[in-house]
Amino acid sequence: MMITLNPQTQKKLRRFKAIKRGYYSFLLICLILVLTAFAELLINSRALLVSYEGEWFFPTYTQYHPGSDFGEDYAYETRYRELRAQWQADGSDNWMIMPFVPYSPYESDASSGVFKPTAPSVAKLHYLGTDSTSRDILARLFYGIRIALLFALAFMVVVYLIGISIGCAMGFFGGVFDLLFQRIIEIWSNVPFLYMVIIVFSVIPNSISVSTRIGILLLVMVLFSWTSMTYYMRTETYKEKSRDYVAAARIIGASNFRIIFKHILPNVLSTLVTFMPFTIIGAIASITALDYLGFGLPPPTPSLGELLKQGTATLRTAPWIVMSSFGTLVVILTLVTFIGEAVRESFDPKKFTVYR
Amino acid sequence: MKTRVLKSVLPIVLGVAALFLSACSNDDGKGAESDAPAQDVTAEMQAFYDDNPEFFSFKTMADLPDGLAWESGEGLSDLGSPEAKKGGTFSYYIADFPRTLRRVGPDSGGSFRGWILDFMVPTLAIKHPNEGLYYPGLAEMWSVSPENKTVYFKLDKTAKWSDGVPITANDYMFMFFFYRSQHIVAPWYNNWYGTQYSNITKYDDHTISMTIPEAKPHFEDSLLELSPMPRHFFKELGPDYVDRYQWRFVPTPGAYIVRDQDIKKGRSITLTRLKDWWAKDKKFFRNRFNVDKIRLNVIRDAAKAFEAFKRGDIDLFRLNTSELWYEKLPDLDGDVQSGYIGKDTFYTDIPRPTYGLWINTSKPLLDNKDLRVGIHYALNWKLVIDSFFRGDFRRMRTTADGFGVATHPTLRARSFDLDKAAVAFAKNGFVNRGPDGILVNAKGERLSFTISTPYARYGDILTILKEEAIKAGLELRVEILDATAGFKQGKEKKHDIQFTALNVGGRYPRYWETYHSDNAYDEAFLADGTVNPERKIKVQTNNIETLASWDVDQLINRYRAATTEDELVATAHRLEEALYDHASFVPGFVQGYERSAHWRWLKFPDDFDVKESHYVFEGQQFWFDDTVKKETKAAMKAGDKFPVSVNVHDQYKVQ
Repeated sequence: MMITLNPQTQKKLRRFKAIKRGYYSFLLICLILVLTAFAELLINSRALLVSYEGEWFFPTYTQYHPGSDFGEDYAYETRYRELRAQWQADGSDNWMIMPFVPYSPYESDASSGVFKPTAPSVAKLHYLGTDSTSRDILARLFYGIRIALLFALAFMVVVYLIGISIGCAMGFFGGVFDLLFQRIIEIWSNVPFLYMVIIVFSVIPNSISVSTRIGILLLVMVLFSWTSMTYYMRTETYKEKSRDYVAAARIIGASNFRIIFKHILPNVLSTLVTFMPFTIIGAIASITALDYLGFGLPPPTPSLGELLKQGTATLRTAPWIVMSSFGTLVVILTLVTFIGEAVRESFDPKKFTVYR
Repeated sequence: MKTRVLKSVLPIVLGVAALFLSACSNDDGKGAESDAPAQDVTAEMQAFYDDNPEFFSFKTMADLPDGLAWESGEGLSDLGSPEAKKGGTFSYYIADFPRTLRRVGPDSGGSFRGWILDFMVPTLAIKHPNEGLYYPGLAEMWSVSPENKTVYFKLDKTAKWSDGVPITANDYMFMFFFYRSQHIVAPWYNNWYGTQYSNITKYDDHTISMTIPEAKPHFEDSLLELSPMPRHFFKELGPDYVDRYQWRFVPTPGAYIVRDQDIKKGRSITLTRLKDWWAKDKKFFRNRFNVDKIRLNVIRDAAKAFEAFKRGDIDLFRLNTSELWYEKLPDLDGDVQSGYIGKDTFYTDIPRPTYGLWINTSKPLLDNKDLRVGIHYALNWKLVIDSFFRGDFRRMRTTADGFGVATHPTLRARSFDLDKAAVAFAKNGFVNRGPDGILVNAKGERLSFTISTPYARYGDILTILKEEAIKAGLELRVEILDATAGFKQGKEKKHDIQFTALNVGGRYPRYWETYHSDNAYDEAFLADGTVNPERKIKVQTNNIETLASWDVDQLINRYRAATTEDELVATAHRLEEALYDHASFVPGFVQGYERSAHWRWLKFPDDFDVKESHYVFEGQQFWFDDTVKKETKAAMKAGDKFPVSVNVHDQYKVQ
């Protein structure tokens, strides 16, 4: 079903493309995803290419190079920016190419020796300025968006997998199974989501690595978010189940599994697809809100919410922090909303209805 | 069908539950105080006195020893300014509404306690914050008798509780009964008042003596700084103390009371000055406690509180972080340049809170001394102080800075040194670096620890330390907890390395609480001084490093048993050296001053504050000038300016 698109789907895709606002938003988001996938090449404190004594190094994705690799007298990671400035000053034959923004999201670059927000400056290559510990805001935003988008995509996939499976099963099997799960979902969905995340996340032992903790956060959020999807799937499946083609499939002897996933699911997919962008918006908003409250991604992970929090605390003294983080959030959420509206419209069967 | 039944029953169930819940909340509120039957603790108190005759003695004036040398703080200078005017309302803020008005028991340790106890309530005698000697508070005069470990007091006959009842010897007797009672649900008080004092004797209504069990240098401090408990008010003391007294203001010998109508739950709480306060004309009180009302608004967010200050809604703001001092309210700020807001830096001389890293020595790898030494050398505190605090703070030197002679004179904390760190780590087999530049030993273990803190405002410090430690091949995973969870983690010894601080005070540092093995493990050592293999970690103590060293224990025991100041100081220095060698506490930074800003209608004495000051408002020496406020408001409207007031008061600066 994914490879050979049926004419219906092709028509929907054509209509999606025709809605320019949504289509370009989609392309833009895809571009952002691709760019952030290669963030290390664009925004990084490691050089892209170092030519040292005739030998070429590509440090971006490799192991760290201690300063001693390039003739420096320290064993920790080479400070490429300083090294380059030194080489240029010495008129050395060695050279290197730095990324577009030569700062990592974790390092403080305090030119005055004092950690404080500095205003955007093209000369210093801090295009959006620095935050309260002199970290480059553009770098933190860029890596923050990457984490937020990946997080939201992963969140959506898992939530839909669970929601679809359980929702379909409820609608298809009905009876006691349906009744039981409805009650469970009713109870479960009344557990206050935010409090649960805060409570669960506060008891997670600290020895776990940052990436695992992000995974746990994802799990906890999924655990309290899958319920809403089941309602739609349940009703849709109920509706489709009584159609003739399902009865036909049953007579042929198709298994329940086959009926659900081969026959019913493709027919209810259009409902699902229209929800997807809004689920992503929800996930980005939640993770930002959690970070803002200090219960989200563990520091110093770059994140929109953490920047927003800094920004609101320094509204008058460093307005560029809140401007850039808020602006980014608005842009991302608007783009996804545009996509969502376009998808909804293109999947709407009542194209020519007067009731719009 | 089943569904329908369920759906029709559900609302009823919910309705009943709601009714039940609302009924409960009624009981929890005001009802508990008024509806509960009156009870009387007098008989229980009398029985307690009778059961402990060696502690509670009743004698006559004839039994008072002859020839006592009475002191009454003669020759000490006045506090505050004679120019101080009474009146006006001082507006300030609290970050959280107090959970109780009780001063003892569960939830009573919040920041609001200062406003009803620490800043406000006089003790028998009070240490002069500039001159270090005691001046009379509730006692008119006192006599210290070191040979029998006793202080005799003549109580001030004019002293009254805020509800008009005179303060007598009975209230001091009752104080011990109260603090040792199980009803108050405060084990620390039970323990302290049960073990640190051995006798109270009533000679007449205004003459008492109190005794401690063991002679110590300056033992009188702990007796002079006692404050009585109102026996008439706690007549209803009982097992329901916590609820019964939850929102009842305890009568105070101090100048300010909280009236019931001034408690706006969740929003604000206001203190009102007693116009006929018994001590209002006394030498050391007459120029202080000046404003008629102190209104404390609840503002949960520090950034918002600052905006409220900037608007003039609150009169004073403490500006201790560099961000506030240099960025949010720089000297060039319009209100400062126009002279509407004054900025003051006041250097103090007090025992310094122990900001630093507390390494949990019970954790694997961290139990190794050489490795801990390596961590010391891998931490760039200089960068923290220079870049985060802009060089205004200084490095802490020992575990107990600011205790005068008791502080080690020459010891200095280890400073950032990558070579020394590498040597120390290499002793533990951490020689090679992994792909990310972090040291790895032969077993493949990474040199990686979690560094946590209950102070969100100092999270950036940990980030700076982390980034610098990577240079030494040490990974620090930063974890910022909320305050309650953070302190809990430390007390339960669940951290690797924690950035925290304990509040300190008194004349000499205390070592037993934080460094004695009694507070690290249950039976840490066997009788011969070897490690007990079956020892278990003891939680809920202040030995956050789970430090258990036989040698340190011996020194602490000697320190506690010291009877002369010389011996005590010498032992303290030996202890500091031992703790330096043990390398489990990484001294952080010391803030040598209090920085604050205030609107110009809030007035301060010429010398601004006192030497031993923790908060600029602690001594209540400021006053409110309404004419100046009107003048300033008019000037702000008209755009007129006043002389700029940015001052440094360094008369008590410690070099």
